[in-house]
Amino acid sequence: MQTGAATHRSPVALAGRILLAVLGGYAFCWGVIALCAAGTFPLGAEFHDGETLGSILALLVYPAAFLWAFAARSLWRASAVLVGGGVLMAAAASLIQMCLT
Amino acid sequence: MFQSFRHAATWVHTWFGLVLGFLLVVVFFFGSLSVFDREIDRWAIPASRFTPQPMPSFDKMLRPVFESIQPGKESLDKARTLVDGPLPTHWDHPDFWGAFTTHRDPVLDMSAAWDTPNARVPDSVMGRRTIDPRSGKTFPDDQLKIGSEFFYPLHYNLTLNYDLTPNGRDLGNWIVGFAGLVMLVALISGVAMHRKVFREFFTFRPGKNTQRSVLDLHNMTGVLALPFHFFFAFTGLLIFAGTYFPVTDTQLEPLHELHEKIEEQETGLPHDRAGVAAPLASVDPMVAEAQRRWAAKGMAGEVGALSLNHVGDANGYVSIYRAGTDRIASVSEGIHFKASTGHVLREDPPQTAVGGFADFLTGLHLQHFRHWPLRWFYVLGGLMGTTCIATGLIFFVEKRKKQHAKTSSQGRRVVDSLAVTTITGMLIATMSILIANRLLPEALPSGWPPRGSLEIYAFWTGWALAMLHAFVRSGPVALGKLNPAWREQCWVVAVMAVSAVLLNWITTGDTLLRTIGTGYWPVAGVDLSLLATATAAVFAAQKLRRKEAGAMEQGRSQPVVREAVNV
Repeated sequence: MQTGAATHRSPVALAGRILLAVLGGYAFCWGVIALCAAGTFPLGAEFHDGETLGSILALLVYPAAFLWAFAARSLWRASAVLVGGGVLMAAAASLIQMCLT
Repeated sequence: MFQSFRHAATWVHTWFGLVLGFLLVVVFFFGSLSVFDREIDRWAIPASRFTPQPMPSFDKMLRPVFESIQPGKESLDKARTLVDGPLPTHWDHPDFWGAFTTHRDPVLDMSAAWDTPNARVPDSVMGRRTIDPRSGKTFPDDQLKIGSEFFYPLHYNLTLNYDLTPNGRDLGNWIVGFAGLVMLVALISGVAMHRKVFREFFTFRPGKNTQRSVLDLHNMTGVLALPFHFFFAFTGLLIFAGTYFPVTDTQLEPLHELHEKIEEQETGLPHDRAGVAAPLASVDPMVAEAQRRWAAKGMAGEVGALSLNHVGDANGYVSIYRAGTDRIASVSEGIHFKASTGHVLREDPPQTAVGGFADFLTGLHLQHFRHWPLRWFYVLGGLMGTTCIATGLIFFVEKRKKQHAKTSSQGRRVVDSLAVTTITGMLIATMSILIANRLLPEALPSGWPPRGSLEIYAFWTGWALAMLHAFVRSGPVALGKLNPAWREQCWVVAVMAVSAVLLNWITTGDTLLRTIGTGYWPVAGVDLSLLATATAAVFAAQKLRRKEAGAMEQGRSQPVVREAVNV
């Protein structure tokens, strides 16, 4: 079953998947933590509680995102979701921070 | 790219598991040893073999010791890279003093910290001291607490303390963090790649060929302890989440500072020094008051941690925390006093839901609470994790032995040699540091490196020699046979383990009869574990000898393969 699939796998495509899994997953998790910490702050939550909640979620999301980066049909769509999602969440966090400070 | 999710999961499990598996074996094994780190410390420092002590009097004993602490060499070396001019020759005016103890600590760990003067980025230098709380006597600086100061950090940062990010000294942390992530990924993908997890869990074919029984053992230790493995990889990452994702120190730094200002107003605990000198009031009555307040809440307890922030300053305050001996969280119920007057500034409020949940998760990982059966269960779970990863590596080799036997793949030889290095080599390294600890004289001649450093050199030298041996003896692997290094190193482990027990007897007089007789289990436990390791190693060596002999028989009936050996 491995040999059959191997023919479709170019080193470049594989490198792309590995980079997406590690760095894309990281970017997405960074966004989750930033948004949780900044987003819960105006709601009256303790700052480090927001950060901790974000970390717990992020560490559950990371392995899932990691695997999805390999399983997804389209590398580009997965990149858009992980990197784009991470950047969007981080930007939202910075926006909230700008309003508060 | 992959035909299905299962194919993707299989590829990720195989290749990330192979590359990070070697590291994960080390992390799991030394994590298992760290469960009994304090007990290994007792074995390594015979002068500390007495019963655990409560926090001693601050006024009579701790204060003069704190006042005499100076920064450590490593910390000063780091400070030199951050400061342009010369560093002070004598460090007065520390900013922080702290002491921490648990129900398993006979000795007391004390530390002091100073703000680094004229540093390019705000930083601090640290100094440490270990004392006998019964007399106040200081333990020599160069004695290494092999359990809590070597095996334990090896478990979470491989003792690679190099700067990777501005947080500092965290290269090893990041490597282990990545391995932890891969552990989580491997657990999920490991379940996903097997359609019949439930049936495979009940399958164990020890009599079948090596490949089959190795795979069965891999599946059994993986699935049986799956919740354990997941929990420990997850909480391990959570403990260092702030290092891996320094969000609130970088992107959200302004919000963080806003929070700290609000917090300062709410708690009344000053964030910074006032710059006005102030004397320190008597601390013992503060400790008594803290204990009275805990007792009034129906949770009388011992002091687990005592700290003094902004030492010698009008903003100085003393914090006293309750030991978590009967709680999951390491310490809790902090009560804070104004250092100059002894008035209560604040009593920590009950924890928030999120804070309590996180403390519960990380507290279960760190296990400073008292529960001996659970402590042994952790060792069992940790060793099952080690076995699971190690058998995964061996399976990788075994499976490919058959596939490529004719093509003489050197890659397989390398993987097998690395597996020997990681598994039996790691045990040899562990025995090396214990033996070196007992062979080195208590006080070394002047001019020698610190005693603890020599012990660490012995550890890495033992490991390097095991690696060399594994590669030199790996020839038969290319022919689809067992590497004799497996068997030979099992014997080395057995001999070294018994030697360590004998050396402990000769150098300290603590025989098993005596330690068990007097009920001193920290040392008896280490000795008994060493003997158990020796027994298991002898058993494994004999099993391997039979396997090798069996393979030889086959070889005789296949003249073609025999010719290949001669080539």
